[in-house]
Formats: sequence, C-alpha cells, structure tokens
Amino acid sequence: MKELLTARKLVVRVTSALVVLAAVMFVCSLMGTESVSLKAVFGGAGGQEAVNPDYEIFVQVRLPRIILACIVGAALACSGVIFQALLRNPLADPYILGISSGAGLGAIVAVLSGLSWTLWGRSPIAVFAFAGALGTVWLVWFIGRLAGKSHVTGLLLAGVVVNAFFSAVIMFLISVAKGQQVHATIFWLMGNMTEEDFLVLWLGAGCVAAGMLALFYISPQLNAISFGEDDARSMGVNTARTRTIAFAVAALITAVAVSLSGLIGFVGLVVPHAVRLVFGPDHRQLLPLSGIVGAIFLVAADTLARIVVAPAQLPVGVVTAIVGGPFFLVLLVKHTHKVGWLSK
Amino acid sequence: MSIIEVSHLSFGYPDGPRFGTGRKTGTQVEVLRDLSFEVMPATFLVIAGPNGTGKTTLLNLLCGSLVPKSGSIRIDAAAIKSYSTEALAAKVAVVRQEFVPIFGFSVIEMVLMARTPYYGQMGFESKADRDIVNEALEATDTAQFASRTLSSLSGGERQRVFIARALAQNTAILLLDEPTSFLDLKHQVGIYDLLKRMQLEKGKTIVAVTHDINLAVQYADVTLLLGADSSYQYGRAKDVFSPEQIEKVFGVRVFSGKVGQEKFFIPLGKFAKDSRQINGNPDSNRQK
Repeated sequence: MKELLTARKLVVRVTSALVVLAAVMFVCSLMGTESVSLKAVFGGAGGQEAVNPDYEIFVQVRLPRIILACIVGAALACSGVIFQALLRNPLADPYILGISSGAGLGAIVAVLSGLSWTLWGRSPIAVFAFAGALGTVWLVWFIGRLAGKSHVTGLLLAGVVVNAFFSAVIMFLISVAKGQQVHATIFWLMGNMTEEDFLVLWLGAGCVAAGMLALFYISPQLNAISFGEDDARSMGVNTARTRTIAFAVAALITAVAVSLSGLIGFVGLVVPHAVRLVFGPDHRQLLPLSGIVGAIFLVAADTLARIVVAPAQLPVGVVTAIVGGPFFLVLLVKHTHKVGWLSK
Repeated sequence: MSIIEVSHLSFGYPDGPRFGTGRKTGTQVEVLRDLSFEVMPATFLVIAGPNGTGKTTLLNLLCGSLVPKSGSIRIDAAAIKSYSTEALAAKVAVVRQEFVPIFGFSVIEMVLMARTPYYGQMGFESKADRDIVNEALEATDTAQFASRTLSSLSGGERQRVFIARALAQNTAILLLDEPTSFLDLKHQVGIYDLLKRMQLEKGKTIVAVTHDINLAVQYADVTLLLGADSSYQYGRAKDVFSPEQIEKVFGVRVFSGKVGQEKFFIPLGKFAKDSRQINGNPDSNRQK
C-alpha cells in the first residue's frame, strides 16, 4: 500500500531539497564570464586603494542576482500551485488572471513617462508594475463576482478578457512609443534579471517567505478545495476564508516577482506539474517543494542566460521556456501512466 | 425526536441574468414551496420525483450549500443556520453526483480529506483519524484499492470511495444525490445494500435522491415524492409508491405487480409490445 505523507517525511524531503538548492546556488555563483576564486572572495572587500575584484563580483553582482532568482522562482512556482488548485485547472499559471498584462501596463506607463525620474532613487518601473499587477487582480476578482454564480468560470473569463484588453493597450502604447523606450519595455516583458540592491531583495524575500508560510498553513484545505468548493464545504472546510487567503497571497507574491524581474513565463506552469508528477498532488508537500524547485530552476536558468551568449545576456524568460518545455515533455511522457488524470 | 425537521420550506432560483453584486432583480423560479416533513434518526429516506422538481435543491438545502428563501430546517434539534461549516460537517455528510477530480489523488488520500477539520496544528491527521478512515474503507470494501488513483477506478468503485469519504466524516446523517445513476444492476444493489447496512448497523440516517423507484421501494422506510407545481407526498415508502401516484406524478403509464413481499413498477412507453394485455391488468389503473 502506498505510504501516506507524514510530517517526518515532509521535513526530510524539504530539507533535502533545500540542500540541493544551496548546492545549485553555490555552483552557479562561481559560473560567469569572469572566473571568481573563492579563496580571494573570503579575503574580504579589500581597502580603499586595492579593491578586491573577486569579492566585488561575488557579493555585488552574482549573489544578489542569484538570491533574486530564488525569490522569483519560489514565488512563481507557489502561486502556480495555488491558481491550479483554486481554478481546478491544470492549465492555470500565475498570470492566468491578468497579473502579467496589468504589470506590463504599469511598466510601460512608467517607461513612457520618461526614465529620467526616480522613486526613492530607483527606477519607477517596479513600483508601477506592482501597482498594475495588484490593481488588475482586484479588477478581475470584482468582474468575476459580477459575471456569474460559478465563481471559477467567472474569474477565468474575467481574467481572459482583462488580459486581452490590457495586452491590446500595451501593443498600442508600444506602437506609439519611441525606439529606446520600446527596447526597454520589450526587454522587461520578456522577463529579465538585474542586480538589485540588498534592501529590495530582503523586502522581496520577506514577502515571499511570509506568503509561503501562509499558504502552507492552508494547504490541507487546498487539498479539499481541489475537489470543488461545495464538496470542500460539506467536509467542513471554510472555503470562503481559504479561497480569499490563497488568492490574496498568490496575487501578492506574483506581483512581487513580476515587479522585480518582469514577465518570466513557464516557471509557474511547469514546476508545479513536475513536482506533482514526481511527488503526488498533496498540497502540504506540493507547495514547499514547488517553491524550492522553482528557485532551483530559475537560478540555473538565469545562470545559463548569463553565460550562453556571454558577454551578452539572454532574457531569462527565453531560457525558462527553451529548457523547461522539453524537460517537461519528457517528464510528462514518462509519468503519465503513473498518474492518470492527464490521460483521461 | 426527529433528526431532520423541515418546516414550510420554500426556495427559488433567480431567473435570467442579473448584474450588480447581490442585487436580485428579475423573477424567481420557485422549485420548492411550503415543504414540511420530519425524519426520525436511523431512517432510510428516499427523495424521488421527475426532473426539475427540486430533489437536488432540497439536498443542497439540507447540507447548507443553499439557504432557504423562507421556512426553516432543523438538524438534530438546532436550526441549520446556527451551525458553522465545521459543525455542520460533523452532522451531515454528502455524496454528490460523481465527477472525476483533476489531480491524481489516491483513494486513501481523498478519504482522509474528510478529516481535514480535525487535523493537528501542523496540518496532519492523528492516529484516530487514520483508524476512522480505515474503518470507512473496510465498510465500503474499498481498502483493496486504497493506493490507486480515483481516475483509475470504475464508476461503481468510485461511488463507493465517495461513500467511504462521507462515512469518514462520522456523521449521523448521510445525504446522497443519485448514488446509483451510472451503475449496472449489481453495483446498484451493492450500493443500496451498503447504505442499508450503515442504517441498520451504525444507526445512520440515510437520505438518498433517486430515480429508481423499484430499489427505493425495497430499501426505503419513508419516501418524499416531489411533483410538479411544488406538490409533494411524504409517508411510508410502500404507501407513497402506488401506481396511481406514480402515473400522476411522473406522467407515464406503469405496470405494477408484486413478487412475494416486493412491489415493482415497470414504465410503459407508447410502443410497448404488450401494452394491450397490460392495459387489462387489474393492477394498472388506467384502463381503456
């Protein structure tokens, strides 16, 4: 008989996954156009006169970017899990309710308003994208309520329509924008990692970690909800509360991820499926493992993006799709017979 | 004292599209009007009637999924409105019409979900929860495929798994919406035997919506026969199910008879080969 998930097993698996993540982060931090010697890094920052270049590259350039990839990967994978469960739709991803187009619209408005001005010494793109993302989720939620008694269908339809509308507005704005602005926007839309400063990273990491904890707390209820809200309610699950928490948290961490790195596709769709195929659909395990695997995946993908066409860089979104697609297909073919819900 | 008490219950669905949150414009389509009945503990109640007379609606009202327009429902001597979601789930379990879930949960994982409200702080079940689940799997004869996924089971097996999940809620009341609609004869009887056993051995109150009058009359103690225009009959199953009633409520001719103790009814279509002979049958009330 198949063994059930126990707290002990969960702790062992999550810890192992964290060890793998740490190893991947370590290896990736050593890879890049400049070779970095670890010994030199531990030599410290160096004095005013003699800057230690290894330390500079490692701490100021590589580390922030790798931490950023962790945050974004974990956030996107977790919110993918949530949207697939709540919408009861295996095709759902973090962007399905229009977060992407809302954030994109915010970003392009920031670009068009002129890149010369700054908010708290930073480019306004992230703030605008964040506001755009959350605003859109709220709008979709609101329209979904009006649209029908079946909450899920209403939400999905509202998401599709709002996405289409905002995308059209984005296309319109791009077509009237100037060359340099267009380039900045398109790069953002493709999903792009840059070296963020540590304050922003800690803020993002805090948000995403708190979000993941909250989601883990409601994960038994999410299991029940994936059988439909009526069923979950008759099993004694407070579905309204669970749904509200899950949507709010998933939207928030997606907005954080998107405002930090633009639209990185595929992580939120593929990672939950991959983890589910290997470890099963139980959300108590699916959520933490997806978060960690998402982080591993994006750290690795971003390292590839840095080194494949060095000294130039690819948008990481291109790498996630090119690498993730075939990988997922292999997994799908190998495991479908074991799972069954895709073969029906 | 009755375990389910429905008095002057009315319910309607809004007709046509409505815009604006919570504003119920347009007319209502009434499906239940002034319905009253009481169910004693450890009773087998069957709800029957033509399509669209509110059988499933009534089930949804009894489990709190829908809220009555007027009238009241009392479960175990307390108004249904006074129960929290969790408390109601400890009294009433529901088996809805079957569907295939989207993710590959195994049978035992799904049955365990019935214990979700009782999980500990860390979100895991206790030993007691597992015992209850194992007992439910044994009772429904589903322990043998506990580790298989739901989508790999046949319709009859899957229905038993959903009943196992309802049993694992450890409730006094079990509601079922057409539990045998997709099953072959053997599995239909198997499900009803299982339900009857739960009633007799565990003292559960069974409320089943069904279209199968013959099984209903065999297994049910009491019957609620819902008709068009919100009319209804409530009483002992063998009294409610008479040829006259069935012809009136369902609008079809039936041939009825008796084999030993058991009554049976066969609907007759216009093209039934023996329709003339049967018209002369003393048990059939519409003679030409």
